[in-house]
Amino acid sequence: MPEGPLIVQSDKTLLLEVEHPDATACRMAIAPFAELERSPEHIHTYRITPLGLWNARAAGHDAEGVIDALIKFSRYPVPHALLVDIAETMDRYGRLQLLNDPAHGLVLRGLDRAVLVEVSKSKKLAGMLGATVADDTMVVHPSERGRLKQALLKLGWPAEDLAGYVDGEKHQIGLDNTDWQLRAYQVQAADSFWAGGSGVVVLPCGAGKTMVGVAAMAHAQATTLILVTNTVAGRQWKRELVARTTLTEDEIGEYSGERKEIRPVTIATYQVLTARRKGAFTHLDLFGARDWGLIIYDEVHLLPAPIFRFTADLQARRRLGLTATLVREDGREADVFSLIGPKRYDAPWKDIEAQGWIAPAECVEVRVTPTDAERMAYATAEPDERYRFAATVHTKVPVVEALVARHPGEQVLVIGAYLDQLDELAADLEVPVIEGKTTTRERERLFDAFRSGELRVLAVSKVANFSIDLPEAAVAIQVSGTFGSRQEEAQRLGRVLRPKADGRQAHFYTVVTRDTLDAEYAAHRQRFLAEQGYAYTILDADDVLGSAT
Amino acid sequence: MPTRLVDALRELSDPQLAALLAARPDLAVPVPADLSALSSRAQSRLSLARALERLDRFTLEILDAVRLAAEPTGATTVGDVVALATSVPEGRVRAALASLRELAIVYGPDTELHVVHSVDELCPPYPAGLGRPAAELDPQVAALAADPGALRRELLAAPPAARAVLDRLAAGPPVGTVREPDSDGPVRWLLDHRLLAPDRIDTVQLPRELGLVLRREVGPLGELHPDPPVPDAPVRSAGSVDSAGAGQVMEVLRLTAALCDALADRPAPVLKSGGLGVRDLRRLAETLACGEGDCALLLEVAAAAALITEADGEVPAWLPTAGYDDWRSLPPAQRWVRLAYAWLELPRQPGLIGTRDDKDKAITPLSGGAARLSAPSLRRAALGVLTELPTGAAPAVDDVVALLSWRSPRRAGRAADATRWALAEAATLGVTGRGALTGYGRELLVEAPDGEPDPLGIEPSPAGPDPAVPLAELLPAPVDTVLLQADLTVVVPGPPEPALAAELELVADVESAGQAAVYRVTTASVRRALDAGLTAADLHTLFARRSSTPVPQALTYLVDDVARRHGGLRVGACSAYLRSEDTALLAQLVADRRLGLLALRQVAPTVLISPFQVHRLLDMLRDAGYAPVAEDAGGVVLAQRPDQPRALARTRPRVPPRELPAQLRSDQLDQVIAALRRGERAARAANRAPNPDVRSTADAITVLREAIATRQRIWVGYVDAHGGNVSRLVRPVSIGAGYLRAADDRTETLHTFSLHRIVSATPAEV
Repeated sequence: MPEGPLIVQSDKTLLLEVEHPDATACRMAIAPFAELERSPEHIHTYRITPLGLWNARAAGHDAEGVIDALIKFSRYPVPHALLVDIAETMDRYGRLQLLNDPAHGLVLRGLDRAVLVEVSKSKKLAGMLGATVADDTMVVHPSERGRLKQALLKLGWPAEDLAGYVDGEKHQIGLDNTDWQLRAYQVQAADSFWAGGSGVVVLPCGAGKTMVGVAAMAHAQATTLILVTNTVAGRQWKRELVARTTLTEDEIGEYSGERKEIRPVTIATYQVLTARRKGAFTHLDLFGARDWGLIIYDEVHLLPAPIFRFTADLQARRRLGLTATLVREDGREADVFSLIGPKRYDAPWKDIEAQGWIAPAECVEVRVTPTDAERMAYATAEPDERYRFAATVHTKVPVVEALVARHPGEQVLVIGAYLDQLDELAADLEVPVIEGKTTTRERERLFDAFRSGELRVLAVSKVANFSIDLPEAAVAIQVSGTFGSRQEEAQRLGRVLRPKADGRQAHFYTVVTRDTLDAEYAAHRQRFLAEQGYAYTILDADDVLGSAT
Repeated sequence: MPTRLVDALRELSDPQLAALLAARPDLAVPVPADLSALSSRAQSRLSLARALERLDRFTLEILDAVRLAAEPTGATTVGDVVALATSVPEGRVRAALASLRELAIVYGPDTELHVVHSVDELCPPYPAGLGRPAAELDPQVAALAADPGALRRELLAAPPAARAVLDRLAAGPPVGTVREPDSDGPVRWLLDHRLLAPDRIDTVQLPRELGLVLRREVGPLGELHPDPPVPDAPVRSAGSVDSAGAGQVMEVLRLTAALCDALADRPAPVLKSGGLGVRDLRRLAETLACGEGDCALLLEVAAAAALITEADGEVPAWLPTAGYDDWRSLPPAQRWVRLAYAWLELPRQPGLIGTRDDKDKAITPLSGGAARLSAPSLRRAALGVLTELPTGAAPAVDDVVALLSWRSPRRAGRAADATRWALAEAATLGVTGRGALTGYGRELLVEAPDGEPDPLGIEPSPAGPDPAVPLAELLPAPVDTVLLQADLTVVVPGPPEPALAAELELVADVESAGQAAVYRVTTASVRRALDAGLTAADLHTLFARRSSTPVPQALTYLVDDVARRHGGLRVGACSAYLRSEDTALLAQLVADRRLGLLALRQVAPTVLISPFQVHRLLDMLRDAGYAPVAEDAGGVVLAQRPDQPRALARTRPRVPPRELPAQLRSDQLDQVIAALRRGERAARAANRAPNPDVRSTADAITVLREAIATRQRIWVGYVDAHGGNVSRLVRPVSIGAGYLRAADDRTETLHTFSLHRIVSATPAEV
C-alpha cells in the first residue's frame, strides 16, 4: 500500500499531512484544482469544488491529470465514485464558449450542441441570448456578457470566456526599480494574472498585494481604475505608485467623497461609487469616463453588492482582484469567480511567512474575569446589547494598560469596535483615537506620526481594519470586534504582519471577557486564524497584570 | 413415425431423457405421472417460454428456419433447414438443431422434424420475418409472384421511396401499418403494382416470394448472427482497478454503518404497504450525503444482509438488528463480503426504486414493488460477462447489454435495464473499479464448489474462494491515534479503530468522513461528554492518550471552561415544597422527628422539598401542630373548605325494545330452497365425477364448443398451477383469446380456464 501524504475524503476534502516527506510535491500537484481551506499545524485541508476544478480546466489541466495526482499521492485507495464525479464535473467546463464572431459580434458557442440547447431553454437565461446563427452558435447581447457567465455558472455549465479584452487607452507605466525588486511570488502572481486575462490574486496581508497590482499595471501599459475600500487606503496606493513606478503625482487622480479627479490612473473608493442620490447611483459615469485598460479591485472580499452589478457590465475590460482571503461573510464567492475571474494565484500564509516576507506573529488571547457587578449587568442586558456589555467591561482597561507596558519601545495599536470604550482607553493611556468622525487630514497626520515613531500608541476603531500600511506596528491589542467576523480578525492581524526592520516578532493580543458572548465570538473569529496555522495561546488576565507589576 | 411429442419422448433413451430434464428442470417439478404428462407439460406455454428464454439469437434464428421449412406440412428435414441458412456453415446449423432437440422444442428424426405447436403462440407470427405466401394473401399478388420475371421487372420499376418501403418490410417484420391510404404515396404505388398485399384494414403485407427475392443477397432467413458481438473493452491496470474498487468498498462500509446508525437514531416507520417512505429515504440520503439511488441500494443490501429489519412495536419501524453489532465487529474485508453476497443473491431490483409500477404507484425501498425473483440470475449474467473478459478490461455498458441480448434475446427487454443496474450497483458497491472487475470481485463471483455460496460469508467453505483475503490486503489497517490541532479539530489519519471511533463520537462532532475522519471539539460536544459521565480529567487523559502530537492549549482551555460551567444548574423533581421566610422554623421542621416520614430536604435556607403530595404534607404538618397554608403554582394562597363526599350520578343507558323478525317473503324462501337443491345436486355429481380418459386439447375444445351451443354441463379436466390434474363440473359460456369462460352452477361464479391447460372435456350425464 502506498504511504502517500494525502487522504481523500468522500466529501471531497483532501487532508494533507504536512510533515510527510512528499507533502511539498503533493501540494504542488493538487494546488491547481483544490482550494486550501485550512492550514493548522499538522494536517492541511484542501477542498475540491466545482469552481476549483473549472479553474484547473481553465488553466489547461485535464481530468486524467487530476485523477492521477490524487491516486499518486493518496495514502488509501480513492473511491471510484469520486473519480467519476471529478471527471464529469471537469468535463462541464468549456463545453460552452464565449467568442467574438467577426460577423455576429459576441456569440455563445456550444462544443456540445445538447448543452447549448439545454441552457438556451433555461428560464435563467431569458433575454440574454439572441438569434441562433448556426447550429451551435447563438448571439449574445454584449451587455449581458457578465450576467450570462453568472447564470451559466449557476446552471453548472461555466462558459469559457474567449471573447478577449479591449486594450484600453494606452498609458506609459514603468516600474521604478532603483531601490527595490518585485519578490518572486509577486512576479509569479502578476504573470499568471496576465496570462489568464482576468482574475483574483490571493496573498496574505503584508505580503505586498499592492505590488502585484503595480506589476499588473506595468503589464497593461494602459489607463487604470483602482477601487479601494476607503480614502486612506487610496492615499496609500497613491504613495506606493509614485514611489514604485514612473507615474507622477499628476497622473494619479483621487475620486473620493472629498475630491473628484479623473486622471490616467484613478483611485476611487467603494463608498463613493455606491453612494446614491434619490435611489440612483450618481458616480457610475466614472466607469465610462475613460477607456480603462485595467480595473483593480482592492480587498475583493469586501466588494459591495452594487459593484458586482457594475462589474457585470465591464466584462470587456481586464479585471484584477486582490485579497487576503476569498472567504466572504456573504458567501458570494461564485460571483467573484464569474464576474472578476477565477483565482490566479494563491499562497498559504505560513509559506510566505517562512519565506520571511511577513513578520512572525504570536497570537495571545487574554481572558479577563468580569466583576460580579459586570456579570450581573451582562446577565440582565437585552439580547442585542449583550455583546457590547461583555466586550466593553471596564475590567479590560487595566489589562490593556499592562499589555502596553509589556512592550516598551514598540509601536502599539489598540483596536476596538466601540467608541466609548476606545475613548475611555485612550483617555487612560493618554493616546489619540482615530475613528469614523476623524477627518481624513487628521487621520493622515496621526498615521504619519505613528509611522515616524513620534507616536507610540494609537487607538483605532474599525476604520483602520483595512489597507492602512503601518509597517512599524508590532503589537496589536484587540479589545472588541464586529461580532464574530472572521475576516476582520485576519485583517487586524494583518496590521502587525508587515515585516519589521529588525525582524522582531509581532504580537497580537485579544482581550476577551470570560464566559460571555465576547469569548464565544472571539472563538469564532480565531478559528479562521487557527485554520491558517496561527495557534492562540491563552493567558489569564491575572498573569498579565502580575507580570506588569 | 412419431408425429406427436409424446411418441418422440417415448423413443428417448434414459440419458437423453435425463438431459432434457436437466436442461429444463421445471419439467420435473412436480414429478409428472407419465411420459404423456411430461409431454403435455413440455408443450405448456409457461415451460416452453422458459426454455426459449435460454436460447441465443442464432439458435432462435435456426428455430425460425425450422418453422419456416415445416410450414405447409408441419414437418421438415434437416437438409431443408441447412439449405435455408445459406450464410452459415452446416455444422453450426446442425449444432443449433441439436440443442433445440435436446430441449424438446424440435423433435423427430432428421427426415421428419417437427416443432412443438405452442412455439407458434410464443414466437412472432412471421417466421424469419417473412410474410405469408402470396397465394394465401391475394390472388392478383399471387399471380405476379408466380412469374419471377414479371416480379423482378416490377421490382426494378419501383420508385426509390417505394423501394425503401420494400427493403424495410423485407428486413422484417413483413407487415406495415398504413397511416392514411393516400393515392400518391409509395405504399399506394406498391399496392397498385401488386408488390404488396393488403392485409387488414390498415395494414399491408409483403408476400413471402417477394421477401425472398429482396433477401437474395443475405439469404432467405435474412441476416444471421451465428457469433456473439465482442464487447469493446479498454484494459486498465489491475492495480488501479483494485485500488478504485477498494476505495469504494471503504466508502460502502462507512455508509452502511452510517445508515444503520441513522436508523437507530431515528427509526423509519414501516409503510402500510411495506417498505420505507420516500421522505425517510430522502432524509437518510441527506444524512449520508449520498444520492437517493445509492441510499436505496444500501438499504436493500443492508436488509438482505440482515443488518436492518422491520421491528414490531407500537409503530413498526426499520431498525438495525442485533446482527448489525456482530457485523461491525468483523474485519472490514469480511464485512464487505457479507454485503456483497447479500447483494449478489438479492431477489429484488433496487434500480426500480423511485420508478412507478403498473398502478402508477411509486416503488419505495424495501417494499414488495421492487421484488424480482429473476434479479439474481440477471445480475450474475451481467457480471458473468465481466468475468469472461481479461483482468482489468472495462467494457462499455452498452456492449455488455448487446452481448447479453444476443445470448438470450427473449429476455433482452427486461435484461437490458437489469444489466445496467447490475453494473452500476457493482460499481457503487466496489465489486468493480473503473469499470472493470476487481480481483476480489472475481473471487466473489466464483461459485463455491457445492454450487451454493454461504449466504452469510462468515464461514466460506474451506475449498471455496474467499474474496475477503485479497480484499483485506487492499484495505488500510485501522488507526488508533489522532492528531490534535489548535483549531480544535481532531484528525484520525485513517479508518478509526472501533474503540477510538466510539470515544471520539462522544467528545467531538464529525466534520468530514471518509477514509480518514475529521472531528471538531466544540462546547456542545464537550458538554455531551460531560453529560455522559466523563470528567474534565477523563477528557484530558483521553486526548493525551490518543494524540500523537502535544495537546493544544486551546483544547485544554475549552475542556476546562465547559467543565467549570457544567452542572452549575441542577434540575430535579419533587412533589411539594415548603417555603418560609422564617429560617429557624424550617430548621425546626427538618429536625422534627415526627415529620421524618416526609423526607424533607433543604435545598435553600428558605425552601424545603418533599417527594410527597401536598395534601399529605398539609395533613402531617397540621397533625404535628404546625399551621401550613397551601399555595398554587403562582403563589396564591388556596382556601380550603371541607367537602361533603358525594358519589357521581350514573345514568343507565336506555335499552331499545327488540323488534320481532319479519316474515320471510315467498320469493326469498324459493331462493333458499333452490340453493339447497343445487348444493344437493352438486354434491351428488361430485361423487360420480367421471374419470376422464386422456384426450387431446383439440378434442376437448370441440366438445366445449358444442356445449356452449347446447348449454350442456361439462366435466372440464385441467392442469392447475401446481401441475396437478383437477376436474370441475361447469357450464361453458364462451371460448376466445385462449381462454374458456364457464359458469359453475354450484357456486354461481364464472371461471376462466386457459385453453392450453385443459386436458379433457367430458359431457356430464344428465
